[in-house]
Amino acid sequence: MIIVKDLHKTFDDELHVLKGVNYHIHQGEKIVIVGPSGSGKSTFLRCLNLLERPTSGEIWFDGQNITDPRTDINKVREHLGMVFQHFNLFNNLTIMENITLAPTKLKLQTAEEAKENALKLLERVGLTDKADVYPSSLSGGQKQRIAIVRSLAMNPKVMLFDEPTSALDPEMVGEVLEVMKELATAGMTMVVVTHEMGFAREVGTKVLFMDGGNILEENTPKEFFEHPQSQRLQDFLSKVL
Amino acid sequence: MFETELGRKIYAAFIDKDRWQLYFAGLSVTMQVALFAAIIGIVLGTIVAFMKLSVNKSGKPTIFSYIANIYIDIIRGTPSVLQLLIMWFVILSSWKNGIAVASISFGINSGAYVAEIVRAGILAVDKGQTEAGRSVGLSNLQTMRYIVIPQAFKNVLPPLGNEFIVLIKETAIVGYVSLRDLTRTAHQMTSTLYDAFTPLIGAAVIYFVVIKILTILLAKLERRLRKSDNR
Repeated sequence: MIIVKDLHKTFDDELHVLKGVNYHIHQGEKIVIVGPSGSGKSTFLRCLNLLERPTSGEIWFDGQNITDPRTDINKVREHLGMVFQHFNLFNNLTIMENITLAPTKLKLQTAEEAKENALKLLERVGLTDKADVYPSSLSGGQKQRIAIVRSLAMNPKVMLFDEPTSALDPEMVGEVLEVMKELATAGMTMVVVTHEMGFAREVGTKVLFMDGGNILEENTPKEFFEHPQSQRLQDFLSKVL
Repeated sequence: MFETELGRKIYAAFIDKDRWQLYFAGLSVTMQVALFAAIIGIVLGTIVAFMKLSVNKSGKPTIFSYIANIYIDIIRGTPSVLQLLIMWFVILSSWKNGIAVASISFGINSGAYVAEIVRAGILAVDKGQTEAGRSVGLSNLQTMRYIVIPQAFKNVLPPLGNEFIVLIKETAIVGYVSLRDLTRTAHQMTSTLYDAFTPLIGAAVIYFVVIKILTILLAKLERRLRKSDNR
């Protein structure tokens, strides 16, 4: 579904963040990416929907080379949902408008369809009563659940999560992970950058360890946590577990 | 009241021969120039701000961005009196309407400052808002229109109000192109009355009161914006 070939990313010609990443993500997989900060895991994720332009290398999505400058990236992004660490709900719009803005402005749904769909999604995350309030009146956990719903409203084929629980108060982490687990159970293809090792173990089909701009190790969650191969991963796990 | 020395001077400067009407005629010229200039400045400044922010596909500034920079540099690097004189005696020398020429001159001047205000207001909107907009498939233009600009608008309103207040005071030099604004009126009155103190202080008080009222209104607006601030 997503094929990454020899992906490089440098910032300002000196900071080499990604150093030739290769990876193949299949439909239905839940890829969890862990690693120390500065390892390039967020940059890698942000390259997948071209929020960061790769310096070189290719990314193929559903048989289309999205790094080709002729690709209509807006069209591609409709299929790639993204959830951010800091939620990034649209501050000037109500929750309902946050969810329906893209489907209606991109003419994928009529206003009524979008609204109906939004209400269904809000019900799924238990926030129907928040439809008409502004983001500022929500807690972090609520904001993140809405952010997930906003992405889902586009019926994406893949959901990208960039440290979705890192900015949350501890007691709100659970409610967000719960929604993500439910999404995983429903069969969504997911790529998740996170520090939640419990989530990686429980939900991931593959866990990747990134360090120094490359994928150092890739395995099933069980093998990944019980038999880490490299010294680097063993050190990392001993610190975070 | 008018029996003292000061009282007689005040009577002569403002009440005798209905002279107060002259000050108000002058104030009217001042406000007209400031208002038209503000409108021109806001339209021009907004366009220039977007020119300055424009980047090509690889993220480098466009030719429009350079043009905007040159314009801002020239305007900020030369005295506004000179800009006004050049407009009146050189560029628009065939025009007879002083208010129009002064409005255009001050509008072009103000546009440079408004451009910086609008640019800062747009840049102050969190980058995450743009990223979220783009990530759901909205184009750059749609993200700007539905998400960034509505939020930038709130950032920009208070400093724009300030810019208008600055304009009111800056227009005091339109006497150079023989417009009878408030300052010019007071100045001329000094030779009519052989008294500099009363008309000049009087004009200063009028400016002060007008600007004080605007400042209070602006503070109210700012408070209301903050209250409805949904961030």
